[in-house]
Amino acid sequence: MGDIAATTGNAAAGRAAGSARGKPRDWKRTVFIALCVLPALGFLAVFMYYPIEETFRISLMHSSGLGGETWAGFDNYVRLFANPEFLAGLLHVFSWAFWSILIQLPLAFLIAFSLTFYVNKTTGPLRVVYYLANILPSAITAMLGKFVFSPNNGILSSIATKLHWTWLSNIDFFGDPKIAFWTVFIVATWTYTGFPIIYLMARIEQIPTEIREAAELDGAVGWRYAWHIVLPLVIYPMQILAVLCTVGSLKLFDLPYMLTTGGPGNATVTLGITLYRQGFINWQYGKAAAIGVVIFLLSLAFTIAQFSWQKREGDSR
Amino acid sequence: MSTTTASRGSGKLPRIRHGIPEVFVTIFLVMLALLIILPLFLPWMFVFKTQLEYAYHPWAIPLKLHFENFTEAWTAVQIGQGLINTLIVCIGAIACSVPASALAGYVFARYRSRATEILFYAVLIGYFVPVQMVLIPLYKMNLKIGLADSLIGLILPMAAFNIPFWTLIYRSFFQSLPGELADAARIDGAGHSGTFFLIMLPLASPATVLSCLLIFIGAWSDYLLSLIMLNNQNLFTMQLRVAQFLNAYGTDRMPRYAAAAIISAAPTVILYILGHRWIIRGTLAGALKE
Repeated sequence: MGDIAATTGNAAAGRAAGSARGKPRDWKRTVFIALCVLPALGFLAVFMYYPIEETFRISLMHSSGLGGETWAGFDNYVRLFANPEFLAGLLHVFSWAFWSILIQLPLAFLIAFSLTFYVNKTTGPLRVVYYLANILPSAITAMLGKFVFSPNNGILSSIATKLHWTWLSNIDFFGDPKIAFWTVFIVATWTYTGFPIIYLMARIEQIPTEIREAAELDGAVGWRYAWHIVLPLVIYPMQILAVLCTVGSLKLFDLPYMLTTGGPGNATVTLGITLYRQGFINWQYGKAAAIGVVIFLLSLAFTIAQFSWQKREGDSR
Repeated sequence: MSTTTASRGSGKLPRIRHGIPEVFVTIFLVMLALLIILPLFLPWMFVFKTQLEYAYHPWAIPLKLHFENFTEAWTAVQIGQGLINTLIVCIGAIACSVPASALAGYVFARYRSRATEILFYAVLIGYFVPVQMVLIPLYKMNLKIGLADSLIGLILPMAAFNIPFWTLIYRSFFQSLPGELADAARIDGAGHSGTFFLIMLPLASPATVLSCLLIFIGAWSDYLLSLIMLNNQNLFTMQLRVAQFLNAYGTDRMPRYAAAAIISAAPTVILYILGHRWIIRGTLAGALKE
């Protein structure tokens, strides 16, 4: 939508370019453009494009921290799909995405709708508070998670001991392989749900007030208004959020690593953690690069899906 | 486009009285908000306690305020050094990425041609590259060119990962400025760079403030890239120190650890409280413009 404004706004610049073509003063403009673009492109070339190419190349090599590279073909990839740690990471990434979409997004919609539906004095401060957890450094979030769930002196087990709720004080939130995933997930929900909330709020606020008035005249009030009117109008932003959740799961590293380092066993391993373990603990560069390629291709696939939705949305408008 | 987060004015529509449901929903929302806020107060429960008090009554209200934990954490976790390192990383990341993004965004907005359009998409691709994908080559490259285990070796890739997003933001910001201003300056005889530095860049100061703020918070909070690029204890940033302490002592040394954590979280929380309007708007700007 910005592009139309841009093309009209830049008609003058475009005309200048047209008239300048072939004239001797053209080089000044070209030099200026080149000098302006150079720093950004230089940074990206050295620290992004070249490393991307290298990741693909290294993923096809037997390469370790000791140095030396020998051609491996797709050996690294074949081995990955026989590696229980990698498969656990892949499984967790997708179940993480699945549960994020199923739990965090509806929760965010519920909160965002309530906040925009009942606008009163609390609305502004509440929006600020809901996003607060999102900007905390992940090391702090992990620490708070430990304070709450730590089995020996976390606040939950302390309260449980005081109240003699042995069923609760016996739960090992980080050490039980069945529970650890959910503990990390709860901590992540606490911190990550803020973004979908403010995003959906902004989208819902864009809905014209006439629609709401018309809906109220037709008797669609409260939750019926949310379900039949608002939700269909934000279904496309919800799709974008679902893609962001999935891509975020592919990249997930900080919280599970700091809370459980992927353990116990492989119970909370993510693709990010397997990459780190293979690359910087086992020094298996080839395998780690192959995991990097898998992360990249999967996030690329989901991003392309998002763009095709976006395009369809653009057409339907 | 940029005003989407402005709160809805209640003046247009006569306020609808919702009565009891509104009260219940608001109470529910406030309770959820408490769930977000209360964990933030946990460290304060025992940061003023001695190790012994903590061992016996970890969650009791502190009766006497001991500030030793702050001084001890300062030496044990080397918070001073950590703060200096983190500040260097933040300032370095801002200094490397903001000028580059502003220049590129300006050209992509106001010098549109086939060539700049292609270059713009080349920059935009970077927005979708996950940092995990390039960790191995970045680490190997730093080893090769002697930037391994240095703050510069962390700052440069961090800046590169900030540039695509902020180029995008600067581009749309410069597009939203009236083109006549730049044209007038050009007619008055200002050169290309004169127009940019004297006219357009000052007009883009909202974007500049926003980028500095958000890059600062991002660099301050970074964990993964710092973890890979820094091995030397002296170079550790605050986040690495906090995480390392958590791994080494778990929850046993919490009073001292909480002191370190409070210091390391304070800048982002303070910046957020002061600039939440900007931060939320800036965060949404990337997501809402498509």
